[in-house]
Amino acid sequence: MNVLFEQAGNWLPHLWNGLKLSLGVTVASLLIGLPLGFLLSLGVISRSRAVRYGALAVVEIGRGAPSLVLLQFAYFGLPSTGLVFSSFAASVAALSWSTAAYSSEIIRAGLQSVPAGQSEAALATGMTRLDTMRFVVLPQGLRIAIPALLGFAILIFQTTSLCFAIALPELTSRAYEIGTNTFQYLPALTLAGLLYLAVCVPATLIVSWVEARAAS
Amino acid sequence: MSGEQALSTLSENMPKQPLVHVSELKKSFGSLTVLDRIDFDVAQGEVLAIIGPSGSGKSTLLRCINFLETPDEGRIRLAGVEIDAGRHPGQKQVLQLRRLAGMVFQSFNLFPHMTVLENVSLAQKRVLTRSQSEADARSMELLDRVGLSDKAREYPYRCSGGQQQRIAIARALALNPKVMLFDEPTSALDPELGLEVLSVMRELAQDGMTMIVVTHEMHFAESVSDHVMIMADGRIIEYGPSAEIMRNPQSARAQRFLHAVRDR
Repeated sequence: MNVLFEQAGNWLPHLWNGLKLSLGVTVASLLIGLPLGFLLSLGVISRSRAVRYGALAVVEIGRGAPSLVLLQFAYFGLPSTGLVFSSFAASVAALSWSTAAYSSEIIRAGLQSVPAGQSEAALATGMTRLDTMRFVVLPQGLRIAIPALLGFAILIFQTTSLCFAIALPELTSRAYEIGTNTFQYLPALTLAGLLYLAVCVPATLIVSWVEARAAS
Repeated sequence: MSGEQALSTLSENMPKQPLVHVSELKKSFGSLTVLDRIDFDVAQGEVLAIIGPSGSGKSTLLRCINFLETPDEGRIRLAGVEIDAGRHPGQKQVLQLRRLAGMVFQSFNLFPHMTVLENVSLAQKRVLTRSQSEADARSMELLDRVGLSDKAREYPYRCSGGQQQRIAIARALALNPKVMLFDEPTSALDPELGLEVLSVMRELAQDGMTMIVVTHEMHFAESVSDHVMIMADGRIIEYGPSAEIMRNPQSARAQRFLHAVRDR
C-alpha cells in the first residue's frame, strides 16, 4: 500500500478529471431523467389507456434492461441505425433512460401514497383534476418521494462506473488505465474507490438528514 | 285584490321547487347494489339527517350527490343544475354541480402542507378566481365564524380534531355553497370535541343553510334536522319529519335500529 501514498500525488489529477466526468454524466442524466421520470409517472397513472400503456412500456424496458445493456445499446447498437453518439452522449442517453424509468416508479409511489381523501377534498370544492394534482397531490407526493430520489441519485453516480465499458474516460476507466500502465491495479483502484466514497458518504449523510426532516 | 298582491299570493301557494332533487338513483359496486332507486327532495333551508346501520349506503348516497362517486343511474338536480347519471355527464357539468355543494368529511381531509388560511383560500382562488387578498379576507371572516381566526397561520397538525373539522367547515363554506353535505362529521372525534363541531353545524342550520347530514348523532338528528331519512341495505326504509320518525318509526327494521342506538 506504500505505493498508494507515494503515487497518490501523481495519480490524483488524472483521477480527478475522471471524477469530474463521472459527476458530469450523473448530473446530466439526472437533469434529463428526473423530469422525464416525472412525466412518465403521470403517464402511468393517467386515465387514458393509450398513455398508460405507452408510459408503462418505456418504464418497464428501462427498468428491465440492465444499465450495461442500455449503455452498449446506445453506443454500439444505435450507430447501425444511423444514430452515432459520442461515449459521453451515449452514457447520458442510457443513464437518463434508467433514471427516468426508476424515478418514475419512485414518484408514482409517492403520489399514490397521498391519501385519496386529499384529492376528494379538493375535487369536492369544484377544483379540476389538474388543479387538484398541482396544488394538493404533487406537493405532498413529491415530498414523500424526495429521500428515495436522492438515494437513487447516489446509485446513478455509482452506475457511471459502467461507462467504462463504452470507453468513457470516467473515474473507473482512469484507474484501470493507470493499472494497465503501471501494473499497480490495487492501489489505483483503491484510490478510485476512496474518491467514490468521498462523494457517496457525505451524500448519504445528506439523504439521511433530508429523510429525518421529511419524517418530522 | 291588487295585481301585485295576487301575484304574491300565487307565488306563496305555488309548490316551491326543492333545492336538491334526487330521483331513481342507483349505484352498484360489482354485484353489490349499494343504492337502489333512491328518491328524495330537500327544500331550501332544510336540514336532512340520514341515519342507518353501517353499510346501508348513507355515505355513498352523499358522495353520489356531488359525484365523488358516479351513480350508475338516476338524476340529481341541485339549485338548477341537473345531471342525468345514465348519460355519462361531462367534467364541466360535474364541476358545476360540485361548486354548489360544500362537503365535510369524517376524517377532515385538510391539506397538511398548507396553513389553515391557505386551506380555506385555495379553492376560492382556483374555482372562484378571487384574488389572494379577496380570498384571504373571506377566509378570515369564515375562520372567525367558526371561532378559529387565531389559528390562521398555523398548520393543521397544530390543531385539535375538533378545530380541524371546524376549519374544514370554513373551507367548504368559502365557495358559498347552496347546500352543505356532512359525512359523519363527528365520528372521528371524542364526544367533547364533537360538541364544538355540532354547535357550529347548529348555528349554520339556524342561519338557514340547507344541509344533508349523514350522522350517528341521534340527538342532532332529532333536535336540529327537519327531516330524517333512515336507510338500510341501500334503500330508504323510513322518511319524514324528524320528531315523528325518531319517536315513532313504522317499520320493524327502523324500530330495531333506533332501539339499538338508543340502548347503547
